Amino acid sequence: MANKLDFLKQFDQLTALFPVQGNARAVIHNGLDFPTTRDEYWKYTRVTSLVESRYVRNVPNIDSIDAFRVPGLDAQYLVFVNGEYSERLSDTQLIQGVEVTSMRLAEGDRKQHMLEHLDRYVDSKTQAFHALNTSYFIDGSFITVEKNTVLSDPICILNISADKQQANNIRNLIVVGEMAKAEFINLHEGYDNAGSLTNAITELKVEQGGDASLYMIQNDGAESAHINTIQVAQEKDSQSKVVTITQTGKLVRNNLNFTVSGQGCESNMYGIYFTSDRQHVDNHTYVDHTTPNCNSNELYKGVMSDRSTGVFNGKIMVRREAQQTNAFQSNQNILLSDKATIYTKPELEIYADDVKCSHGCTIGQLDEEAMFYLQSRGLDKAAAAKLLVQAFAGDVTAKITNDALREKVEGFLHQKFEDQHA
Amino acid sequence: MSDFLRIKNLRASIEGNQILKGIDLEVNPGEVHAIMGPNGSGKSTLSSVLAGREEYEVEADEVMFLGKELLEMAPEERSREGLFLAFQYPVEIPGVSNINFLKAAINAKRQHQGLEDITAKDFMVMVKEKQALVELKQSLANRSVNEGFSGGEKKRNEIFQMAMLQPRLGILDETDSGLDIDALKIVANGVNKLKSKDNAFILITHYQRLLNYIVPDFVHVLYNGRIVKSGDKSLALELEEKGYDWIINELEAV
Repeated sequence: MANKLDFLKQFDQLTALFPVQGNARAVIHNGLDFPTTRDEYWKYTRVTSLVESRYVRNVPNIDSIDAFRVPGLDAQYLVFVNGEYSERLSDTQLIQGVEVTSMRLAEGDRKQHMLEHLDRYVDSKTQAFHALNTSYFIDGSFITVEKNTVLSDPICILNISADKQQANNIRNLIVVGEMAKAEFINLHEGYDNAGSLTNAITELKVEQGGDASLYMIQNDGAESAHINTIQVAQEKDSQSKVVTITQTGKLVRNNLNFTVSGQGCESNMYGIYFTSDRQHVDNHTYVDHTTPNCNSNELYKGVMSDRSTGVFNGKIMVRREAQQTNAFQSNQNILLSDKATIYTKPELEIYADDVKCSHGCTIGQLDEEAMFYLQSRGLDKAAAAKLLVQAFAGDVTAKITNDALREKVEGFLHQKFEDQHA
Repeated sequence: MSDFLRIKNLRASIEGNQILKGIDLEVNPGEVHAIMGPNGSGKSTLSSVLAGREEYEVEADEVMFLGKELLEMAPEERSREGLFLAFQYPVEIPGVSNINFLKAAINAKRQHQGLEDITAKDFMVMVKEKQALVELKQSLANRSVNEGFSGGEKKRNEIFQMAMLQPRLGILDETDSGLDIDALKIVANGVNKLKSKDNAFILITHYQRLLNYIVPDFVHVLYNGRIVKSGDKSLALELEEKGYDWIINELEAV
């Protein structure tokens, strides 16, 4: 316990900007502890070293974000360096029906609007990393898309993790109004950031009939850790899609949760994790079906090489009232090395009696017949494996409807192979 | 002595069962060899071993292909050196585009030869030309490798790939099996057009009917892991008429 208070003490000098931050600080200073491997949902992911580390605060000066931009992407960028908004680096544009604000700079009605939603969807009372984030985030993005507004280009939140031993509590709050439609990209990039921790929360509210897509791209760097929670709250007849692509990160833990408060909703979640060295990537997803006539679709694909580890836990809850639910889940994994590990677990809890639910998980290796076929045409083993892995991931990359972003992700899969066989 | 393909005393076993018990075969440029034989005689093993399938234990006094030790090469090296196996059962590979894969294969070979990658334009011209050769629909070339292809389409795709890769030695492993007569003619016609004085083909087949369309210079009968009889195209006709039993009986009489 002394450890925890000691750990928290290094952040306590940060100013609490909003009442919720004071509440969360009270919670985390008292009964709430960080999870250990004795907790069922953290069984394979050891975070102790993260919450015993000493962190420093530093916001380095960055000249340009050109190195981090998605090539060919038409989007406005909202840029944060170590959690702090940079107006200079951002290139927000005035778009009818859209407001993009730094949380710290929000004032008047805008601030009021934000406080109506902030910390309302995510659970900061029982989850220590959520409470840690809520207690100490120094800024964040607040994005609203007005009723009936349809955005043609995505909005990109770029979080840069720079410098060693930084603890960055990243916060996003996105509200997509009634019948509005929008795409968001949260791009996490990093450099020279060994020992740093990104602890991010995105609250995504989709109002009645709205349609929101969120792409979470994790590329913090090989020597840093990333804990990420996305909480999607959907109203009646709304749609959502979250695609999580984990590129780099020594330890990555993703929590993706959906709650639905009306009928006729669709929730889609897709992910790719391609791990190497001693990377550890853990995806926990949770869909809570509380209302009738809703659909959820889930497809996560993993490729593990070297001595890396993947974890997948997909929980689907179908409550008694949630009749006519269609919930589909699939997790497929390829192990490229005999030292790599995957722990995968579907977790379905169904209390309604008129539902269609399915789940499946597979663990395998590259198809030897296909490998030989490709080799017999002149491709070496590495090139053949690369083609097969790209094909394997193709079902998920196809869900990335933005061409520039999809090319970036395909490029990452390509590069990962090049690096491995360099 | 031929420097093209020279096989001496080739033996192969799998899981302790010896399948090939000493094959001797010499192939020269411009020749077409047919290897026939009853089921289980080792025909497909021979093609697998020559293409470099790894699950066999292989020994030989010598297997030379274009002056190099074939057995010491990985499957992809054999391909780049000019060997092509048309599979009896082409593999379906969902998500891998036929065209992208072929382009990668051609460039792998070109790099091996010290050439630049093929230009997009040259590649497309070549695709169009070779597709016409085997009457392969454009839509098939753009699909995933063999995915959802009919049996005949898969075999035509094999010949299309062979045409694209322009091998020195093409081995066709029971390419005729599962083909109706029209598809058989198309496939055979494709092979005939690819024949030149610089390349050679080994046709592995159970039946004589393919040899009506691709006329072999030599016919070999494989039985129990050995080539037990060789002759010209008339041997195939004799086999068609009398079956394999007379050869087997002849052998056992000796």
